[in-house]
Amino acid sequence: MRDTKYMMSGGLAFSEDKDMETLRKYSLKGWHVRDFKFMGYTLEKGESADYIYSVDYQTLNKEEAEEYFDFFSASGWTHISSQGNTHLFRALPGTKPIHSDRETVAEKHNHLGSSMKWTSISLVLITMLLWVGALLTDGGLQLTIIVMAVIFSVVAIPIAWTVMTIYQNKWKAEGKMGFANLIRIVPILFILCVSVTILLVVDHNPLLMLASMLLGAVTLPTIVWLIMSLYHKLRGEEA
Amino acid sequence: MKTSEQLTDSMFYIMAALTKPRHGYAIMSLIEERTKGAITIGPASMYTIIKKLLKQEWIYLYDGSNPRRKTYLLTEKGKEVLEEDVKLRKLMIELAEMGLREAEE
Repeated sequence: MRDTKYMMSGGLAFSEDKDMETLRKYSLKGWHVRDFKFMGYTLEKGESADYIYSVDYQTLNKEEAEEYFDFFSASGWTHISSQGNTHLFRALPGTKPIHSDRETVAEKHNHLGSSMKWTSISLVLITMLLWVGALLTDGGLQLTIIVMAVIFSVVAIPIAWTVMTIYQNKWKAEGKMGFANLIRIVPILFILCVSVTILLVVDHNPLLMLASMLLGAVTLPTIVWLIMSLYHKLRGEEA
Repeated sequence: MKTSEQLTDSMFYIMAALTKPRHGYAIMSLIEERTKGAITIGPASMYTIIKKLLKQEWIYLYDGSNPRRKTYLLTEKGKEVLEEDVKLRKLMIELAEMGLREAEE
């Protein structure tokens, strides 16, 4: 029988709480997380136990690490594994949480976000410039730039999305729900802008069709969503 | 208000425990003990705040010879900040107590 297995992560920025809850459920079945693995965790077969899990983000040098992990073990949290600045801990249920206030939770997300912020901003800018370049050129040069732009888009979009989610988590922790909700609209706006640009610039028919379909697919749910949320907001205020 | 910003509650507790040199674990248990368990500090919050207070120069590394048990102490500036904050918090309590007394009359 295999004594290790792989559990996929939903991406810590997107589903930290869900990941931790899933790890707990696996522990109850006797599968305990041992390590981070590419986009997930390695679980190891053992005795069934009720463990709770937490992650923290902190950039540490070797000397700082000793003190940092000592704080956790003194509070009843066992260090399991680290990957870069991400550290995974386990404790028995009832152990006090690793964060005891809202301010440091916000800082945890900020810490993660600020390390990725400039990479993502530069990637997005380069991608946008490449697309503009692709629109302004033609022939072989245009083809080269389009290929580069596609490659950059494939990298830039997930990274930008992750960073936005991290900041969304941060603002949620700070209680700035307005900002947090704003981020949700960004992907819709983005698709909308791209579709409109394609409509305006490209005159090939299949692309035009595709763009119109995209535009329709996005606009309709958005309008429905807007009306629904307005409706709930108004009703909420009446109540 | 004279001070730029009020301390967060956690910063306040930790600074209150650093009037004498103490290491991280001692700070956490002192706070828990003196508040009879009503206030606890989580390890991740603790570490983040220690870093922040060091950066602000409100505390300094008193003894770093044992890397697992580094001790810290309030600086002069840190002590002033804490004293200012205590004054403000006293006013906050008075305000609420006056209000509650008024409600009883």
